[in-house]
Amino acid sequence: MCTAIIGVSGAGKSTLLRSINKMHEISEGSIFIDDVDVSKLKDKELRLMRRNIGMIFQSFNLVKRMNVFNNVLAGRVAYHNTFKTVFGLFPKEDKLIALEALETMGILEKAFTRADQLSGGQQQRVALARALAQEPKVILADEPVASLDPITTVQVMNDFLKINKALGITIIANMHHVDLALKYATRIIGIKGGYVVFDGNAESVNEEVLFNIYGRTIRHDEMLGATDA
Amino acid sequence: MREFTLKSVAKVKQPFNKIWFVIGGLLITTIIFAQFIPFTPSSYRLSELGVIFKRLFVPYGVRTWNDYFGYFKEMQTPLIESIQISLGGTIIGSVLAFPVAFLSAHNVIKNKFISVPIKLIMNLVRSIPMIILAVLATFMVGTGVLSGIVAITLFSFGIMAKMLYEAIETVDMSPFEALESSGANKLVAFNYAIFSQIKPIYLGYVIYVFEINVRSSAVLGYVGAGGIGQVISDNILYNYNKVGVAIITIFITVIVVQIFSNWTRRKLK
Amino acid sequence: MYGKQPKRWIINTIFVVLLIVVIIFTFSGSTIKLTRLKNLDYTLGDMFRRIIKIQWDFFFGVGDYQFSQGIVHLVLETFAIGFLGTLFGAILAIPFGFLGAESLVGKKVAKISEVILLIIRVFPEIILAIILVKGFGMNAFSGMLTIGLHSIGMLGKLFSEAIDNMDKSPFEALDSVGANVWQKIRYGVLPNILPDLSSITLYRLDINVRAVSILGLVSAGGIGSILTIASSMWSWELLGTILLAVIIMVMLVDFISSSLRKKLV
Repeated sequence: MCTAIIGVSGAGKSTLLRSINKMHEISEGSIFIDDVDVSKLKDKELRLMRRNIGMIFQSFNLVKRMNVFNNVLAGRVAYHNTFKTVFGLFPKEDKLIALEALETMGILEKAFTRADQLSGGQQQRVALARALAQEPKVILADEPVASLDPITTVQVMNDFLKINKALGITIIANMHHVDLALKYATRIIGIKGGYVVFDGNAESVNEEVLFNIYGRTIRHDEMLGATDA
Repeated sequence: MREFTLKSVAKVKQPFNKIWFVIGGLLITTIIFAQFIPFTPSSYRLSELGVIFKRLFVPYGVRTWNDYFGYFKEMQTPLIESIQISLGGTIIGSVLAFPVAFLSAHNVIKNKFISVPIKLIMNLVRSIPMIILAVLATFMVGTGVLSGIVAITLFSFGIMAKMLYEAIETVDMSPFEALESSGANKLVAFNYAIFSQIKPIYLGYVIYVFEINVRSSAVLGYVGAGGIGQVISDNILYNYNKVGVAIITIFITVIVVQIFSNWTRRKLK
Repeated sequence: MYGKQPKRWIINTIFVVLLIVVIIFTFSGSTIKLTRLKNLDYTLGDMFRRIIKIQWDFFFGVGDYQFSQGIVHLVLETFAIGFLGTLFGAILAIPFGFLGAESLVGKKVAKISEVILLIIRVFPEIILAIILVKGFGMNAFSGMLTIGLHSIGMLGKLFSEAIDNMDKSPFEALDSVGANVWQKIRYGVLPNILPDLSSITLYRLDINVRAVSILGLVSAGGIGSILTIASSMWSWELLGTILLAVIIMVMLVDFISSSLRKKLV
């Protein structure tokens, strides 16, 4: 299942997304993942729950001075005790998982390069590899392609699609570009003024629906333009 | 170092982590040089530390608090001497450094035969610790405030000149070229384009060096180059109270200078 | 621009006047004997001739001298004090660095830590050395402690600044992965600031190695001890020998420190 959240800037897309793994606290109500109320979790339980949820950020959030391999391996820390992780004593299986994640993303050859020596698209792929290394059930993406150029954007979006289809991982992404959202997602959630104003199939989204979500016609910068890589 | 075989039969080699070389190097250096430092815990008299501390800041023996505060008045002349040394030395050294830095900057004087030797002499002067310069100065002009001024002047000259020529070499040459191409002669272009960029940097450095020099006043006096340090070396054997008063005076002076320098630094921006 | 012209002229004149005032102030007072400067031109030549006469035997600690009495040995001791003192200070400065980082601990705690470090920084090294010598004896160990304690003040402040300016985005990512505090430090903080902290410490090493020469004056080890002898003997030759050794050591340390720092970006 590939879901995209769209709406005007400031409507609450980020808030909604980050509430799912409790990066953002909610004041009332509940959020259920597999019958567990996420919003009530704390400390260790929270961390165990977050293990199963990967997150991709607009600014990649990699450790710039560390090599790619270690960045991806960092995705596995919640699976082991503090002592082992702090001294870098990951079991061989974990290291294989990390390397395989890099292979899936097609950047295995960059495994031991410093993260800040990669291009934007490559860095986001490393971030994706890190999320994959968690062996998650869900991946949340907060405007994952907003910092990338149009061609790299399409490449990364294709990667998301590949992960979704081949590995069966649910993707929920905030998208700034409406045409991108409509092209890649199966389910669209529209947010306006902090409320969900639309929740349905991507096919059922038309001009009227969009006008309702955005309160106006779509602007030029909210369409990517390029459609094929 | 370690090889991994993935499911897809691809092979990956993990390179050796350089951090181990660093740690190893540090360990070896530490062990080698620790040979020069004696470690004899049984001979340590830690209680002495407390005793001295008390003697510095609390009147002892036949002295009273009146005496103690009275010592502050005696700090006047040495304090003025120290300021004379720090201020005067910094200014003279900085003024001397200004032309020399320009002469050695390779974007001002294209001739390497001039700039390189000057840089060499500057590096030499810069490598001499302040205290050795102070002793050198006392050899040259005898003990007293004059030697302090000479020492600070030389010291300030050394660091100012280096910082200045580095700043000049990294200055933005484009306004200079623009002015030259629009017809201005070299001197005028220089004045407007390069000078004006350097001036605020220069002032910032002068204040930084002044800060450092004020802190040296304790040491200078110790080798006879005048100022408040002399109070310390004169009294260190028999009147710790006076030494304590001198310390407090130095303390206050340095803090005042720090505050002044932070304020000016902010204003310069 | 023309409107501003007179202002510039006024500011320049004020500067020059200030300069003259400072110079006059500097040389006023009965304690300064400017006449001594007159003797300088003949002295300079003599000085130079004598300072060049290096006492090589004494330098290397051969011939009539033991190695442990030679200048080379003293210089090695000087470096040892500087190196170990800086290392000691750097390790102890790390917690202070964290405590002084506003973005980590909040304004109050950071301010307190800043004040403590300020007091340690401003305390003149020579006094610290005198006190420590009384407690730990007239040896290089007291010297090492002096450098170490003093460096905590200097390094702590710079460490806090580095931590404050650090890129915090990996923190978010590690949070979302389910990392606990220690894991966040190991994988978020350490790799980013270790190069910065090392660079700062190397710079400090450079400065500290020069500062060790002061310690010898109060018997805390290092080349300063011979300095007092040279001073009381008014011996240019001895001073020259000392100068040669010190200059070589300082230049070496400077070179190593700068090359290592360039690699740390």
